[in-house]
Amino acid sequence: MLVHSSGNKITSMIPVRHNKYATLRMLLRQIGGLQILIGFSLSVPLIVSLIYGEIFSAIGFFASASLIILVGFLLYKRFQTSFEPLHRHALIIAALGWLSIAIAGSLPYIIIAYITPAETARQYCQTGADYVSSLFYFKNPLHAIFESMSGFTTTGLSMAVHEPSIGKGLLFYRSFTQLLGGAGFIVLSLAVLGQSNGRVALLLYGTESTGERLKPSIIETARSIWKIYLGITLFSFIYLVVGTYLILPDYSLSENIFDSINHAMAGQSTGGFSTLDDSIAGYNSFKMDMLYLLPMILGSLSLPFYFKVVHEKQISQFWKNLQTRSIFIACIFGSLLLSMMLMKSGIISEPFRIGIFQFVSALTTTGWQTSDVHIWDSASVVFIVMAAMIVGGAAGATVGGIKIIRVLLIFKGLFWHINKYFSTENSIKVVRFNEKRLLPDEMNRELAAAATFSFIYLLFVLISALITFYFMGNNFSITDALFESASAQGTVGLSCGITNPAMSPVLEITYIIQMWTGRLEIIPVLVLLRTILFGTKPKIV
Amino acid sequence: MKIIIAGDGEVGFYLAKLLIVEYPDITLIDTQQDKLEFAEKNLGIATVFGDSTSFTTLKQAGVEYANFLIAVTSVESTNITTCLIGKKLGAKFTIARIDNIEYLAEKNSNDLRDLGIDILISPESLVTREVKYILKSPALLETFSLHDRALYLMGLLLEEDAPIVNKTIVETTHLIPYNSFMIVAVHRNGKTLIPTGKLQLKVDDLLYFVSTDEGKDNVVDYTGKKSPQIKNILVVGGSRTGKHIALKLSKRYNIKLIDKDIEKCNYLAKTIPNVQIVCGDGTNIKLLEEEGIETFDAIVSVTGNSETNIFTCLIAKESGVGKAIAMVENTGLFDYSQRMGIDTLINKKMAAANFIFRYIIKGRVLTHLYGVDAKIQEFVIDRNSEITQKPINELNFPKDAIVSGVIRNGAGYITLGSFQLMPDDKVFVFSLPQSSSNVSSFFRQ
Repeated sequence: MLVHSSGNKITSMIPVRHNKYATLRMLLRQIGGLQILIGFSLSVPLIVSLIYGEIFSAIGFFASASLIILVGFLLYKRFQTSFEPLHRHALIIAALGWLSIAIAGSLPYIIIAYITPAETARQYCQTGADYVSSLFYFKNPLHAIFESMSGFTTTGLSMAVHEPSIGKGLLFYRSFTQLLGGAGFIVLSLAVLGQSNGRVALLLYGTESTGERLKPSIIETARSIWKIYLGITLFSFIYLVVGTYLILPDYSLSENIFDSINHAMAGQSTGGFSTLDDSIAGYNSFKMDMLYLLPMILGSLSLPFYFKVVHEKQISQFWKNLQTRSIFIACIFGSLLLSMMLMKSGIISEPFRIGIFQFVSALTTTGWQTSDVHIWDSASVVFIVMAAMIVGGAAGATVGGIKIIRVLLIFKGLFWHINKYFSTENSIKVVRFNEKRLLPDEMNRELAAAATFSFIYLLFVLISALITFYFMGNNFSITDALFESASAQGTVGLSCGITNPAMSPVLEITYIIQMWTGRLEIIPVLVLLRTILFGTKPKIV
Repeated sequence: MKIIIAGDGEVGFYLAKLLIVEYPDITLIDTQQDKLEFAEKNLGIATVFGDSTSFTTLKQAGVEYANFLIAVTSVESTNITTCLIGKKLGAKFTIARIDNIEYLAEKNSNDLRDLGIDILISPESLVTREVKYILKSPALLETFSLHDRALYLMGLLLEEDAPIVNKTIVETTHLIPYNSFMIVAVHRNGKTLIPTGKLQLKVDDLLYFVSTDEGKDNVVDYTGKKSPQIKNILVVGGSRTGKHIALKLSKRYNIKLIDKDIEKCNYLAKTIPNVQIVCGDGTNIKLLEEEGIETFDAIVSVTGNSETNIFTCLIAKESGVGKAIAMVENTGLFDYSQRMGIDTLINKKMAAANFIFRYIIKGRVLTHLYGVDAKIQEFVIDRNSEITQKPINELNFPKDAIVSGVIRNGAGYITLGSFQLMPDDKVFVFSLPQSSSNVSSFFRQ
């Protein structure tokens, strides 16, 4: 007894041994935690399915939720004793976590596709439709993962050719995944669970959000981010219900509410899934197009900015905040320019309606579509790719792209470099940027980070455009390939038609990877890759 | 009257020296024994060795009987704590020296007053204010506000081409717009004269004027000076004073600030908007040339070293900078540096000490001027004083003294011969040291 207790004491004093698989165990536990969370969140679409009497969808959600929670719980329990994540693990957790979420999130699609009888699925289609329900595309797991990844990363590219034909439950689920993915799933887990220690939590938070701390504690920050995020979504919902009712009084109210909930979620997360067969164009109304501009722009503004406006009552932020101001300016001039380019080409019948809507949709990386980009002239396509899709909205929002702040920083850096030649040798060449003054060293650091990221980003877009070029159908051009690639990388979701259930699996996997890296700003995925190839030991390069 | 001064630094020592003449009951507190010994030997005042934030030390200094507790150590938090504790222990009036200008904001200083600090002074902001006045009308060598914005005291150098040279003051009266200013002292060859109508003005006279707010421009016209517009300023030295000046003046002027220390430069570059910061030595002629010294209208040299400041200003003057202002902490250098051609001298400790002085000596000696052997005193006229019966030129006013302006109901008036004083007037009198006691007794009669 004595020997035993002393032996026990000794083992408890020895620190946890970091053997080869310790890191893996820790990662699995973290992923397990995320799975439990996502499993429980499936109860929301489950309820929606029940409301609409879609019994098979409900069963599908229930089955997937049980499975996901079970797996998550087992992982969590099995590896509960493994060590707390360290600083260097934060990015790996983020990258793996998002991948696991997308895979787990594909389960409902697959299960529902398999268990729903053809007869029931036909009822989802519009009466007299001559197509089969798009639900059955999800029998292919790759399509399901694509849809799930597109949802969680708020991209909006879709395998569901005829959206309404997959049933209300799944439609709602799609938009719901965008809402969850938008503000960041890890931020959500921080807000709900509040476990991890502060340092790693901050890093985790940084991987999917701005990293800007709004409240002294990171958990508090995560919570206030979600509060603001849901608050604006609610506002968008009311705005859309009222707006739709005023513009289209004949539109059925229940449909209106369903559309508005989904679109509010998809708009605030700048996801861009739609419940209509033809996205926003399905309303066939100029006024509806204009109505939908606001939710997109609201989604593209940074959450810390809202925090300052709402909590600190700084209304002046609307014109003082560099990013917000730039987005407004970019929206106005960019959409006018695109409209004029479209008008010049003469292909589009309503150049201004299309130009304004599509530019805003692309810049905010929402991806609601009102026009067939495939028929556009090359100049307009290249313009929307360069000026909107690659730039993206504000850092700290739910958008993709390089982010407007980085683009501004790089331009500022250029001016700074030129101006340096005009100041004297000994003067301190400070840069004023975003209401801060940066010393040369600080500016160089910021510039290096922004430029490196932008470079990798463009590289990803280009490589993917080349892959697309070789695997897409014959009736597409290189500009189409560029457009589709930029859309996936920027989590935009506009499509010129290359993305469809018949596309090559190679291309589909490429886009899944692009959406994944696009949401996480590439670096975490590269860190994961390095871990897989070389482990977590430090190494001189 | 008992006065306790915490902090035997430059300000504290200078203040003690000024006050000891009138109030022998002064106690100095400091944590450095040798400094206290020096003060004891030179000024013959009581000293207490210890930390002024300690209850024991303050009690030892007799804080419960103190009329004034003045905390002027170089550490802001010490000064504040000293005043707070001192007030609780019974000091009647407390004065704290601070650095953080945030405290000077109206609301915050009211809060501090509620806590027990009656007056806050920041030497840096006092000096900055002086610099601001001078740069506003650069023809002036010195300017003080005697009373808010009602009366100003200004110093001006008379140059050869002035229309009033070699004329007596009476002969120039037609050039003086009604009641806008008056000459109150003339500094000539190191001696100070109180003017009478018959005094002839000469080249290189340093004239002191008292003027109303509207009269300030007239003074400049009177001496035939063109008031150059100042736009570009070079500030040398990025210490607290330099930072303060750059911060306050950058709204109105283009400012370039030079400092030697790269860390300090980086800090300033981050904190001061719209000011160009240059890292380098202000006495390095090459560097000054590269920074385009000749393009500046004024130079303000405020490094911690008086000699450096003087030297930098001389180089700048040589390169054609119109206005040179140097911070000179060593009072012994005043006369020389002015003779060498530096336009204006500023001195933190004198600014601070004079400011505090005003609160202690209410209605007595108001201020000492740099390098000038004269005093300004302040009196309030009694209700039933006889001197309100006649105009000033019919009063038997002491020699070598002059009534230099009156504040009546908050407005400033110039007191030329025919002016008649009234009860409750606040009167400023300019006098030479030897006649200042006569003046005091004149107003006491």
